[in-house]
Amino acid sequence: MRDARVDKLAELLAGYSLGLREGQVLRIDGEETTIPLVAALYRSALARGALPYTQVRPSGLDKILIAEASDEQLSHVPERELSQGEEFDAWVTIWSSSNTRALARTDPERRRQHLAAQFRLVNRRWERISAGELSWCGTLYPTQAHAQDAEMSLADYEDFVYGACHVNGGQDPIEHWESVAQTLTARARELDGVRELRIVGPDTDLRVVVEGRPWIPSDGKDNMPDGEIFTSPVETGTTGEIYFAFPSVFQGDVVEDVRLRFEEGRVVHAEASSGQDYLRALISTDEGSSVLGEVAFGLNYEIDRFTRDILFDEKIGGTMHVALGGGFDEAGTQNKSDLHWDLICDLRREGEVYADGELIWKAGSFITEVAAERV
Amino acid sequence: MSDRLAKLADVIVGYSTAVKPGDAVQIEGNPPTTPLMREVYRAVVRAGGHAACSLVVDEAQETLLNDGSDDQLEWVPLDRRWNVEHGDVWIVLDGPENTRHLSGVDPGRMARWIKGREPYQRRYLERAESGEFRWLLCGYPTQASAQDAAMSIDEFAEVIYGAAFLDEEDPIAAWQAFGKELDGVRDLLETKRELRVVGVDTDLTLGVADRTWIPSKGLRNFPDGEVFTGPVETSVEGTIRFSFPAIIRGRHAEDVVLRFEGGEVVEATARRGEDFLREMIGMDDGARRVGEFAFGLNRAVTEYTGSVLLDEKIGGTVHLALGRSVPGTGGENDSGLHWDIVCDLRQGGEVYADGELIYRDGAFLDGAG
Repeated sequence: MRDARVDKLAELLAGYSLGLREGQVLRIDGEETTIPLVAALYRSALARGALPYTQVRPSGLDKILIAEASDEQLSHVPERELSQGEEFDAWVTIWSSSNTRALARTDPERRRQHLAAQFRLVNRRWERISAGELSWCGTLYPTQAHAQDAEMSLADYEDFVYGACHVNGGQDPIEHWESVAQTLTARARELDGVRELRIVGPDTDLRVVVEGRPWIPSDGKDNMPDGEIFTSPVETGTTGEIYFAFPSVFQGDVVEDVRLRFEEGRVVHAEASSGQDYLRALISTDEGSSVLGEVAFGLNYEIDRFTRDILFDEKIGGTMHVALGGGFDEAGTQNKSDLHWDLICDLRREGEVYADGELIWKAGSFITEVAAERV
Repeated sequence: MSDRLAKLADVIVGYSTAVKPGDAVQIEGNPPTTPLMREVYRAVVRAGGHAACSLVVDEAQETLLNDGSDDQLEWVPLDRRWNVEHGDVWIVLDGPENTRHLSGVDPGRMARWIKGREPYQRRYLERAESGEFRWLLCGYPTQASAQDAAMSIDEFAEVIYGAAFLDEEDPIAAWQAFGKELDGVRDLLETKRELRVVGVDTDLTLGVADRTWIPSKGLRNFPDGEVFTGPVETSVEGTIRFSFPAIIRGRHAEDVVLRFEGGEVVEATARRGEDFLREMIGMDDGARRVGEFAFGLNRAVTEYTGSVLLDEKIGGTVHLALGRSVPGTGGENDSGLHWDIVCDLRQGGEVYADGELIYRDGAFLDGAG
């Protein structure tokens, strides 16, 4: 039976996230589990006069490559991908896994080597995205594996995913996301004038200088679901302590109860109730990995729980997250790193955020409504 | 099962396509072929190649063929273009989920879709002919193809794996030995000027002078086992009745009878699917002419299964293809179509070469093949 929510999600991706136009070439990437969404998106793209094509891979190939390839094969950046990457106008990545821990026992160094080769490809595509030549959106197709990570049944998890995307009935999804975009943009413009944020919560009192750094709304164009506003902090301006109540997941590995102390922008102390060695290893990846590259407000209130998937977790309404490592050029960052690790701080119960001394956020939401910009 | 898949993967990567370090290898197939695709991917990695996998989404193809505009129908995706122009190896795993999923497609729209792909089809065949590019179509047992064969999937798998010599201790050695037998048939045929095929409601003459016979040894089709050429385009005369249904892209015509004059089909009838048959033949000028004539020589394939890859290899049959010639045969027919139709000669069939009887009841008289 076809799930009407999949068709609606496809329409939302084609019509809103990518804004597909006639004659544009769309590439759709996913694994075999995503075929229902791939097929629906193909239909939506075709109906808009675009030229869609699909790249659906069997699951489990990365495991084979990491286990069996030579170093040269592992680091190979395929010409077929580089070449196609120059030509398509729109690109959708559908994340979906039939086993989120399939790579858990592979050699970490070989995994890093494989990721580095993939980054070389992805970085070139990001150049095209930044230059406005390519529109991209990443989304997720629900599977048992993701439901298991979220500790839900598949049916409940599907409700959760499609609820977060606003494709489960009620309001027209495109209208919904257009109004989200207005609200987030208005909030971002308000924050643009702020010099320093102070985040206060359980075991948390952190000052983050954001002066001169533009805030960027994430409004469903690059991710679906979406719903955050973020910037890259001033590199030397983070001071104080922060506690992350949610487990912190990096490439499938988990660190729990992370506590960080910052002085002059840098982590000076890091501890965790489990995975502390891994935490410290990640922080010492390189020069930039102990500095914040991102600070953000999670504002999608349909996402009301932690599900061990960063696409959703960083947008949980009422949370803030910071990322250790590389920041965003469009947010004026100076911090470079191979790491970008999002850590989520739950502020829904007792959290407060002050902007230049003024309380702007309490118990998981901004205390004032924004006046949405008229467009 | 998984052992056999690994063995099959080793044969098609190690023997059929002979993947070398650094080769750019595209592996394509329908979703049911996923288990074999993983094994082929692994075999390519072990051979030092750079493999890319792509599962074909049938629903997307249905949408395109039913709803696409002319521009969309004729557009060829970027990965296909790259592969045809720059790839080294292209492995297609044929394991349909539903062999009739395109039955409802308008034949005119199908013809347009084929037309858009024609330049790329021609290009990869040219590159294959010059040795720059190796391609392989490999059968894979699915419920859908077993259903067409009126078998269980396990029974159908036995047909495919039997025809592939996978149960031999060294399948690659078995293919090399079979290849020598096929060379013997080629040697017999290459001196002939004219063939006459006689069978039930069949008396067909084809000129083959100065055309090249090619033994098909498992390098481009797998399983395999035929010797084929491209007959002289204007030479085909007479009538042929095909004992097996003629199937292409999920559509079919049954009990097809074709009458040729001066190399062209002048009369085409079928008990079922006659409109479809005529639509296909009317696709372009070349679709009315014979692009290929071949002997099926794989004795491990004995039964009609409705899967062309296997049927055209049945030991004791001949087949001809309407449409495009295969490069390397000397055939010069150009068309968007290449439609193999099989004729069983095992009971009472005869083939004469330059007036001399060389083949009877499905076998060469001198024991070749």
